[in-house]
Amino acid sequence: MDFYPKVKSAVNYFKQFSLSGKLALIMILIILLIAIFAPCLSSHPHQRSSGSALTPPDGEHLLGTDDLGIDLWAQIANGARISLMVGFGTALLAALGGGILGIIAAYKGGLIDKILMRLIDIMMVMPDLPVMILLAAFFGPSLFNIILVLSLFSWIRPARVVRSQILMLKEQSYIKSAESYGASSWYLICKHFLPEVSPLLAVSIIRLSGRAIVAEAGLSFLGLGDPTSRSWGLIIHHALNFAGIYYTPFWRWWLLYPWLALTILIVSLAFIGRDLERIVDPRLGK
Amino acid sequence: MKKVRGMRVIEYLLTVLVIVTLNFALPRAMPGDPFLIMSETEEDVVVLTEEQREYYFELYGLDKPITEQYVSYLGDLLRGDLGLSIYYNEDVSTIILRRLPWTLFLVISTVILRTIIGSLLGTISAWCRGNFFDQFLFFNLITISEIPAFITGLLILFVFSAMLGLFPLSGAMSHFTTYESLWEQIVDILHHAFLPIITLTLARLGGIYLLARNSVITVIQKDYLVTARAKGLSKGRILLRHILRNAMLPIVTRTFLSLGSLVGGAILVENVFNYPGLGLLMQEAVNVHDYTLIQGIFLVVALFVLVANLMADLIYKHLDPRIESQEQTTS
Repeated sequence: MDFYPKVKSAVNYFKQFSLSGKLALIMILIILLIAIFAPCLSSHPHQRSSGSALTPPDGEHLLGTDDLGIDLWAQIANGARISLMVGFGTALLAALGGGILGIIAAYKGGLIDKILMRLIDIMMVMPDLPVMILLAAFFGPSLFNIILVLSLFSWIRPARVVRSQILMLKEQSYIKSAESYGASSWYLICKHFLPEVSPLLAVSIIRLSGRAIVAEAGLSFLGLGDPTSRSWGLIIHHALNFAGIYYTPFWRWWLLYPWLALTILIVSLAFIGRDLERIVDPRLGK
Repeated sequence: MKKVRGMRVIEYLLTVLVIVTLNFALPRAMPGDPFLIMSETEEDVVVLTEEQREYYFELYGLDKPITEQYVSYLGDLLRGDLGLSIYYNEDVSTIILRRLPWTLFLVISTVILRTIIGSLLGTISAWCRGNFFDQFLFFNLITISEIPAFITGLLILFVFSAMLGLFPLSGAMSHFTTYESLWEQIVDILHHAFLPIITLTLARLGGIYLLARNSVITVIQKDYLVTARAKGLSKGRILLRHILRNAMLPIVTRTFLSLGSLVGGAILVENVFNYPGLGLLMQEAVNVHDYTLIQGIFLVVALFVLVANLMADLIYKHLDPRIESQEQTTS
């Protein structure tokens, strides 16, 4: 594998991005770096008190502290890990699972396809947030459970997209001729189908991770987040549960900064998703 | 044609069954002892004696075989009996009915507002397509609609209630006040509901706007519009009678279809503004581990969403018979 053409094509992709898309990519990169280097970026621990409670931002605590005196910048940097992990974890799981289901359904057809389509129909009309709340409430809000529940509601889109793509592909003559040479289903899936649908899946992954991050934030915001790992939604939840926070100046840092981080992440992912959709499928543009 | 519609209805019934069964199975599949978790709070730990456990098992009918439990559960549901709330010690259905009007008020006002504003802006945008105003609306509305409602809601609450003090911070009515007239009460309720409704409307505007813009753009290029213009009809008449009428169809369907995610948004937004509807009730129930109440709310919300989706399906087919023939050819 030579590396150079790949870099070149990546640069080409980047050039096709709109201004907002480029900015969004840079923001995501920054958040990613913050997430990776979270422990080195803050001199304070993110789980223990490191100063007096509710100090406004100053030189010592960059973004101030919360009601337990825990440094907010450390919490936000660490929360980036959790938000990104939930987002990309869910998206990968859902895109892979949904993609494989879509390929099998489209390629095998028949009863499997029928069952899958009915299942998708049922899932489509299922109200996702209420079901997620129910599942999280009953099974306990661990990070693993949350990723699992979110994936359960995210595989539908990739499955549908991939299925319709494969339905079209399997009528192509090169697939037919590969089949007549005795290519197995597994060979076809790995060699022909997966590479063909991977750009579509890549777009799905960006979109799905955006949605998963939003959903996780929503669940945490309701108090259903994993209490042992403080995501941004959970920081907001704790701040809002502080009685009368709006009558105090505390919300100016305790609520505002996690809110800002979450908004930047969500908007950036949305911009990138939209640009990718346009590049991969030019028909979707204006 | 009858067959296709029948299939859809069966599908919905299946979904209802899945939801009801989920509701039945979850507390039984839940890890740990439900009675312990129910009676435990964060402060005190409860230990049940063997006698107490047996008493509870009998009280909730858990000593009977699972099929019998399921049948009696379905029977209770059909009678509208959602069980007893452990925390409030009241019928779940009574509590839900008390809170439901507030959520309905938010959702219905939002649907009306955003349909009107969205179609209006979409039409304006399509009318002056490509110029600065169109691009400005397009970019901003699409960006805002990417941000979930509760995030926008937090910002709106920061600015208008906490910083400027223009609107109340929580609740649906002022406490401890007596109203001198009905009018005063209405004003107070609207004052409290204003920010939540605006938040939901803003977050949901993008979809309708885009739809209206696209359908108007398609309609504008049709031959009959050239005819209408050639006939010398006034701009307003063309807009109302020819463009909007033909562009309405997808908007109506979309409105019903999006009710599901709108309810989801409302659950979260109610928690931002402390608005006493079902969403806030759900969080309260989660906080106090009131599982029967959580289940009851879930069931009501889920059924509401399903009915809305079914209505969207049926209305769409009713308004546009072409869909049915298309579906038959593809399936």
